[in-house]
Amino acid sequence: MQAGLVASLALALLGVPVFSLAADLTDAAEIIQRANLAAYYAGDDGRSDARMRIRDGQGREQLRQFTILRRDREDGGDQDFMVFFSRPADVRGMVFQVAKHIDGDDDRWLYLPGLDLVKRISAGDKRTSFVGSHFFYEDISGRNPNDDHHVLTGSDAQSYVLENTPKNPATVEFKSYTVWVDKQTFLPMKIEYINEIGEIYRRMEVLEVKSIQGYPTAIRSKMNDLQGGGHTLLEFRYTRFDLGLPQEVFSERSLRNPPRQWLKRPSG
Amino acid sequence: MTHWIANLATSRPRTIYLFVALLTLGLGLQIPSIRIDTDPENMLPQDQPDRAFHNETKKKFGLADAIVVGAVNDDDPEGIYNVRSLAAIHRVSQEILKIDGVVRHDLMSLSVVDNVSQDGAGAISFEWLMHEAPQTGKQALAIREAVERLPLLMNTLVSGDGKAAAIYVPIVRKDQSYRISREIEQIIARSLAGSGATDSYHITGLPVAEDTFGHEMFVQMGISAPLAGLAIFLLMWFFFRNAALVVAPMIVAMATVISAMGLMIGMGFTVHIMSSMIPIFLMPIAVVDSVHILSEFADTFQEGDDVGVAIRRVVRRLFRPMLFTSVTSTVGFLSLAITPIPPVQVFGIFVGFGIMLAFLLTIVFVPAYIVRMSPAQLRALQKSHRGQGKPGMLSRLLPPLGRFSTANAVKLMVAFAVVFGLSILGLSRIQINDNPVNWFKSDHRIRVADAALNRHFAGTYDAFLVLRQHGQDAYQQFSGQAEKILARARLAGVDLDAIGWDAAARTGLDDPGEQLDAMVTGLDDALFDAGDAEIPYLEDLLASAEAAQSQAKYFQQPEAVRLLETLQRVLADSAHVGKTNALPDLLKTVNRELLGGMAADFAIPVTTAGIAQTLLVYQSSHRPRDLWHMVTPDYRSAVIWLQLRSGDNQDMSEVMARLDAYLADHPLPAGLSSRWAGKTYINVVWQDAMVAGMAKSLLGAFVVVLIMMIVLFRSFLYGVLAMLPLTITITLIYGLIGWIGKDYDMPIAVLSALTLGLSVDFAIHFLERARAIHHETGSFASTMKQMFKEPARAITRNTVVVAIGFTPLLFAPLLPYVTVGAFLAGIMAVSAIVTLILLPAMLSILRGRLLPETQGFVSASESHTGG
Repeated sequence: MQAGLVASLALALLGVPVFSLAADLTDAAEIIQRANLAAYYAGDDGRSDARMRIRDGQGREQLRQFTILRRDREDGGDQDFMVFFSRPADVRGMVFQVAKHIDGDDDRWLYLPGLDLVKRISAGDKRTSFVGSHFFYEDISGRNPNDDHHVLTGSDAQSYVLENTPKNPATVEFKSYTVWVDKQTFLPMKIEYINEIGEIYRRMEVLEVKSIQGYPTAIRSKMNDLQGGGHTLLEFRYTRFDLGLPQEVFSERSLRNPPRQWLKRPSG
Repeated sequence: MTHWIANLATSRPRTIYLFVALLTLGLGLQIPSIRIDTDPENMLPQDQPDRAFHNETKKKFGLADAIVVGAVNDDDPEGIYNVRSLAAIHRVSQEILKIDGVVRHDLMSLSVVDNVSQDGAGAISFEWLMHEAPQTGKQALAIREAVERLPLLMNTLVSGDGKAAAIYVPIVRKDQSYRISREIEQIIARSLAGSGATDSYHITGLPVAEDTFGHEMFVQMGISAPLAGLAIFLLMWFFFRNAALVVAPMIVAMATVISAMGLMIGMGFTVHIMSSMIPIFLMPIAVVDSVHILSEFADTFQEGDDVGVAIRRVVRRLFRPMLFTSVTSTVGFLSLAITPIPPVQVFGIFVGFGIMLAFLLTIVFVPAYIVRMSPAQLRALQKSHRGQGKPGMLSRLLPPLGRFSTANAVKLMVAFAVVFGLSILGLSRIQINDNPVNWFKSDHRIRVADAALNRHFAGTYDAFLVLRQHGQDAYQQFSGQAEKILARARLAGVDLDAIGWDAAARTGLDDPGEQLDAMVTGLDDALFDAGDAEIPYLEDLLASAEAAQSQAKYFQQPEAVRLLETLQRVLADSAHVGKTNALPDLLKTVNRELLGGMAADFAIPVTTAGIAQTLLVYQSSHRPRDLWHMVTPDYRSAVIWLQLRSGDNQDMSEVMARLDAYLADHPLPAGLSSRWAGKTYINVVWQDAMVAGMAKSLLGAFVVVLIMMIVLFRSFLYGVLAMLPLTITITLIYGLIGWIGKDYDMPIAVLSALTLGLSVDFAIHFLERARAIHHETGSFASTMKQMFKEPARAITRNTVVVAIGFTPLLFAPLLPYVTVGAFLAGIMAVSAIVTLILLPAMLSILRGRLLPETQGFVSASESHTGG
């Protein structure tokens, strides 16, 4: 989910001097592993308000506003998410619940107050749009690093450049994607998706990184649709990590009865 | 002036040659920069309101022009739902996606659309319908099952009988469609080779039709026009039997055609279906005047005469009637400039220009040419001309016709009156109808594809009914409430303005919807920083802003969606409408799958929240953008896509009338308006404009020509008489169209004004000559006798030249050309016959006033034979 981790903190705890990061890594798997942790596993849990501005090729805008709660069962492993929608007003109260499994399909539920309905969402395809934005469901929950082959193809002063090809091409719409991982924070700062005919048709860019409670966190990022000409701007605010979220929050009960206490914006 | 021109031409023939050569070369050099325009939309000016709205609709709803690829399988019992056929469709689709210039994300094919369904465990699932080609018959049939549950795909992507599948290939630019359709053809050939699939593939869709049309237009210009030239050359050679002589009119015709086309292209006009006919119109018209000069010269020139003097005499004598016939023809064509159809205007103006140029070239070039003929050639000319002494067919047939006409004057007048009456009756039965696809012949591959696909699918002709909510109630209501809340706050000593909560809304957004959005975001942010005193007021403001926001999203409200559903039902009642697609179909499908997949749940959610949330679920699919083909993101405009089985304007008009009738009884709610868009509708618009415009241009030309005739003959009665043959001809031709039930379409409409310009020529020549001869003879009987010698022969000859000149059009690949060719030949024939029968009859009846017997003149000199 929203970016942010650890690297420095974790390494500091292990007693490894931070400046040793300057020594370049050469193992693609290790870089991807760290990037996955940095982007999706900051802290043990977290909460954040999110706002999506979905702009189409004609410049017409739609807004989605929601609050995300996350709790890691294991660093780099299974996680629970809850997404509570607040805007537009007509979708207020909609909740999206995900139990992310590394070694199997995710479990996904949706609560629709307008139809008074809790509906399970089929495990199947994770590369569908996230509520009409240019981000995919998988961009929000994190693509399993084991789904791709990773090759380190280059690096410069700031980033490692990795090329990733799917192990099972039939399940995805891309032929490969290239990711630029920041050498300091290990946050993926740019991802370009390439289709069958070698065109870059989709590009994610991180626009702003902020250190929150010591975790470098991507608080503004943008997904560009290079074919249709639109983009979605995703902003995170009121982000907090290590809140001590109880596991009960991530239950079916919360669908109809949102845990107000954790949804409230932290002050300051 | 005539003197001066004739002198110049005969004294400086080389200068004239140089002038003609430079003019032709200079303007001809513009021709290579030709730009072809085949878009029927261009029948309307760019800024015509319906056209502008059509394009705005296309843009707003992302409705790109599409090439339609259809696969038909009539052999397999499961139709298209067999492993081989589906694999072929899959392969073809994936390859098409690689073609440059295709709008990839909007391509519609079984392999790239979503299936919304229940998976086993009662979960809703958005999966690619056919991400990979099926391997077994069972998988193939599963696709059938899925499609039959998806009303938006059924009968659009796969036909109701399961025998045909379609791929919609939206393209970025229409002018690429020829290349893209060629690439698609190659892909199909490659994909089918060795695949075992027996499907027949068709490629159609408007962009393809337009491009093919452009290609055939070149064929027409490159083959039919030169053929017309050849036919005219042969015909004149048959009449004059002197190649050297016939070359002159041919040069005039070529110079005219090249100059007119060069000028048009050089001035930046595109060559449209209308203007592509300019060469074939100008060629015979340009030749006619030269024929007059040559005939007259051959008649009067005596061996030993001074050639210059002889030709100057001829030019002086013919100048006036030639000028008048040229001007009347020009008026007929120029009258097209008052139609509101730009291609028709361009056509009229440049044919008009061409006629006047042909006149000018005739009176300067032909004399210069004759002056430069060698004595041997002149002798040969005379010999061949006079050598025709033995009476030809025309010489035998025409005099009895003249005797018959004058002898049965009253009977003939009654007969013509009856014909006229019947024609008027026929006029009232005229069916106004057109369909650009029918411009291709019925065995053309476009027509074949069109027929095949419309047989299987709900229809391949698009029309769009756009509904738009203009009402500002929601915003006004919010403004009122905001005022009150702010007032309450001020009363309590709280200054909300200081927080700047509506700063976002003040940044100059015009659209009230955007203002509300900005205000909601601003209030939400302000709320976070606000103190306890401000919070209640800000929350009130936010609540009412959000209520207004929700209310403004008109097409998220259940009654609005139900209204769309009702309109769909009303439209689908028409036999011409195969299917309609709109927001309710999408909502009902997703709602059913959310609620468990039972048929009973195929319904519109009953609350606004239910609709909004169902749509958000839909947007979590692979193709969320597809929603915006049906409604705009502000939910204030929605579109109903009609698939029509026929592109006939009449059928579209029936659908429109049906909606109008319904709306007359059930008016749309206040603030909501409906308007049509789509190619099929645009065709109706320009046809209506054409019909009205043609009536006006015909009337205008009629009045102008009538006045000219009265001036020319210096007699009201003669003027009216001159208009008689063309009046009869036009009503007869169009009455006939009414009686035989041929559709009054674009080419037929355009012909009316030209008929006027062309057929008045005969009357001018006939009456002018009759008067002149009567002036010499003073006797009606001998005038008529002479009239049916040389003058009648000249008229008949010209009729044949022009009529034959147009016949190559009969072999053109496109039907409008064929229609024009057939009708012009018919019009020329009818108006010549009417002139030669009705005018003598009328003159006979009115002879007391028009051609009174005068005593003391010598009887007719019959020296003017031949011609």
